[in-house]
Amino acid sequence: MTPVIMSEPTLLVLYGSQTGTAQDTAQRIGRQAKRKWLQVQVLPLDNYNVANLISESLVVFVCATTGQGDAPDNMKNFWKFLFRKSLPAGSLSRLDCAVLGLGDSSYPKFNFVAKKLHKRLLQLGASPLLPAGLADDQHDLGADAVIDPWLTSLWEKVFALYPSLAAVTPLGEDEPLPPTYTFHFLDDVKEDRCRISTEQTVPSQSHPFPAKLVSNRRVTDTSHFQDVRHIEFDISGSRIQFGAGDVVMMYPCNAPEDVQQFCQLLRLNPEATFALRATDNTAVPARLPQPCTVRYLVETYLDIAAVPRRSFFELLSTFATNELEQDKLKEFSSAEGQTDLHSYCNQPRRTALEVLTDFPHTTTEIKVDYLLDLFPEIQPRSFSIASSLKAHPNRLQILVAVVRYKTKLYKPRQGLCSTWLASLDPAQGEVCVPLWVKKGSLRFPTDTDTPVIMVGPGTGVAPFRSALQERRAEGKPENVLFFGCRSESKDFYFKSEWGTMMEEGHLKLFTAFSRDQEEKVYVQHRVTENAELLWDLISNKHSCFYIAGNAKEMPASVCDALKDVFRQQGHMSTEDAEQMFAAMEKSGRLQSETWS
Amino acid sequence: MTYNVLSRCLQNKERFNTHSSTSIKQDIMADLGIKSGNQVLIVWAQPSTPADLKQYAEEVGATVGADGKVSVENMERLLMSSHPASTFDFVLSCPLADNSSIHSLETLAELARVLKPGGKLVLEEAVTEAEMHPVRTAEKLISALKMSGFMSVTEVTRAELSPAALSSLRTATGYQGNTLSRVRMSASKPNYEMGSSSQIKLSFGKKTTKPAEKPALDPNTVKMWTLSANDMDDDDVDLVDSDALLDEEDIKKPDPSSLRAPSCGEGAGKKKACKNCTCGLADELEQESKGQQKTDLPKSACGSCYLGDAFRCASCPYLGMPAFKPGEKIVLDNNTLTDS
Repeated sequence: MTPVIMSEPTLLVLYGSQTGTAQDTAQRIGRQAKRKWLQVQVLPLDNYNVANLISESLVVFVCATTGQGDAPDNMKNFWKFLFRKSLPAGSLSRLDCAVLGLGDSSYPKFNFVAKKLHKRLLQLGASPLLPAGLADDQHDLGADAVIDPWLTSLWEKVFALYPSLAAVTPLGEDEPLPPTYTFHFLDDVKEDRCRISTEQTVPSQSHPFPAKLVSNRRVTDTSHFQDVRHIEFDISGSRIQFGAGDVVMMYPCNAPEDVQQFCQLLRLNPEATFALRATDNTAVPARLPQPCTVRYLVETYLDIAAVPRRSFFELLSTFATNELEQDKLKEFSSAEGQTDLHSYCNQPRRTALEVLTDFPHTTTEIKVDYLLDLFPEIQPRSFSIASSLKAHPNRLQILVAVVRYKTKLYKPRQGLCSTWLASLDPAQGEVCVPLWVKKGSLRFPTDTDTPVIMVGPGTGVAPFRSALQERRAEGKPENVLFFGCRSESKDFYFKSEWGTMMEEGHLKLFTAFSRDQEEKVYVQHRVTENAELLWDLISNKHSCFYIAGNAKEMPASVCDALKDVFRQQGHMSTEDAEQMFAAMEKSGRLQSETWS
Repeated sequence: MTYNVLSRCLQNKERFNTHSSTSIKQDIMADLGIKSGNQVLIVWAQPSTPADLKQYAEEVGATVGADGKVSVENMERLLMSSHPASTFDFVLSCPLADNSSIHSLETLAELARVLKPGGKLVLEEAVTEAEMHPVRTAEKLISALKMSGFMSVTEVTRAELSPAALSSLRTATGYQGNTLSRVRMSASKPNYEMGSSSQIKLSFGKKTTKPAEKPALDPNTVKMWTLSANDMDDDDVDLVDSDALLDEEDIKKPDPSSLRAPSCGEGAGKKKACKNCTCGLADELEQESKGQQKTDLPKSACGSCYLGDAFRCASCPYLGMPAFKPGEKIVLDNNTLTDS
């Protein structure tokens, strides 16, 4: 009897992803594995019980490098664990593994997470099947330029390890894999939408608190190019606690007109109710009510306003019967078509919804069961909290710049969360925004004597307002703030509040209004101008130094200016100034929270 | 027929009457030399009776026995399924009398790749006396096999094409001639791998290729690891300095020239025309009321502009606009008109 060997080996794909790209890649590997009839599990690293790693036989790690060579949030616990000195050297001797890194070589610590992971796994006795893949956003063709050939190589090695896999015909690319979930539409169920949690737990990502919107004011002049809002929430009864430097998280919603257009394109009834079932051992998403309406799903969960990835086109092509559309979708899914896909989608920031309007025939043929496979989940957005509970108890305030810009597309691009927040009007009726709080990366000194120096131009001033309100209430008077914006009359946030604090002696404020005069004046210029004061505070009074705001040029320029202060005032060489700077960073006396 | 269906058939062990005119059973063992324990790949094409294919696979299976393996692949799917290199002792291609496909050079190269060095290929194909595309003469077929890397190419038998195969071939390829016959060729893959003299085993640590031979875990190691894992929240532990793991090679950034796309360096990519596009500016469209400024609205000569950016050519004046209904009047103001 000829043996029929179904694949017995199982593959574990573990990922660390900050923006979802590594997750998408990990899921792609999972789908490739399924097509080859491999049993596979795809998980974020921190969701995996690392105790089991010693008994695994085949693991692929997909890890992005983020920030300053750091591991993404959903693998931070794993990362700390893996580097424990106490782990024995032969622990992973049963493990065949492979490491795929996602990074950007314009950063000095390019793919450091993947490189370190690879080396540490070796140290612990694991056997890498092939060298670490180091995908690079700087490549003309993006990360796929490295990922595609690396995956080919990976599968060759896996087949060499498990020759029984080779005997089985893989599922053809034209055939879709079974969907992760199935929709069971119900006839007659009243769905209770506003589920206020009666649990006595602190609000978190799985149980956000529906905070009432109190006010939503534009704080930039109408002639200013950007709409910036000062928004206040009522968090009474939430048990939410936060300190200066902490951040608030929330899930934005899709605009009603987008929800409507989506339902029309797919011929879905927004009021239809359904229950979700998972087809394998995946969990049903916790934040969707069961049962759920189509409207709720499309409004709060499916990220139809995101720029779709290659996998979107791959899956979409399996529904196409119209030849023109199918050809184009297959082209966009192919390795050769990635440059074209990049200029069609990524460059102009074309949304998934807009792509659907270009492929109307295929869109009507999308099977509803595949909705959660086609569209990723809307990611939460974070904002630095701009108020202190000590100045505004039971309140949480943020400063939000509404993102809006033009690409070659006729319709301007909009930030999903900032646009949605700007649209909320408490005067129109009660509005609740589900939110939760997370510790931020900025930590302020606990003792009364340590001064703080803060550089926060634009919306970067938000966490510093929180810090100043808190420190004022705690009797910590030595505070220096460098604030920069375009014009004193147009975007000078919280102008009146600073005046009061200065009068009380709690604040020294230095401002830079870049467009109020002929030449551009920025915060770094003010840093240089006040070198003596800064040197005294830092070297004599052990002051801490903070930077917050836009990530592009400002942080580097401010750091350069600070190093110059060290050189001049401290009469040091450039190298010594660098060393003093590095020492301040390492000891936590120099901190930054910047965003792009 | 997918592998799963076939395997279920094989497990059923039902006997079906064979319809084919040539009995293959005796051939397998006698002529071809398939032995017990061999790995065999059967490649099939249309037309094929599932029952025949199943029986054929079963018979091969009986020959190779429990230690061997039979894989079945459709010729169209062969190139997509990427079997690992050098896996099979035998490849039997189009063995059923009704099969009538022509082996392309790509297919032959793929068959060569998946054969082990020294492995044997037996294929059957329709040939013609006088070359008439796409059917080849026997000589051309032999050349094709040699070009694809095979040696000892021999014509084994020649017979008549079955009527079913003949009509299928005519339909599939448009072949009009009538000097057709069916030939069986055998060939073998040279005893060395192309492009290398021997495999150099690169060691990445203590690696073995057989999954069964994993080292046993020391119980103390297991204990240490598990204890540590159950104590994940303990922040007060000594950590290895991860920076110290990296050497000079690791800190180096990729060479900028390696980051360029292989073809032309233009960020915009090649200009592509839509299917029959001859876009150009044309007459003014009729104006709506409200005294709008008369603008030169471009009208597409090819008719693809309404489809959406995915299908528009690079010089289309409607780039950036959503798709619209053909004939729908779209007002392009001066801001959106793009110059080609």
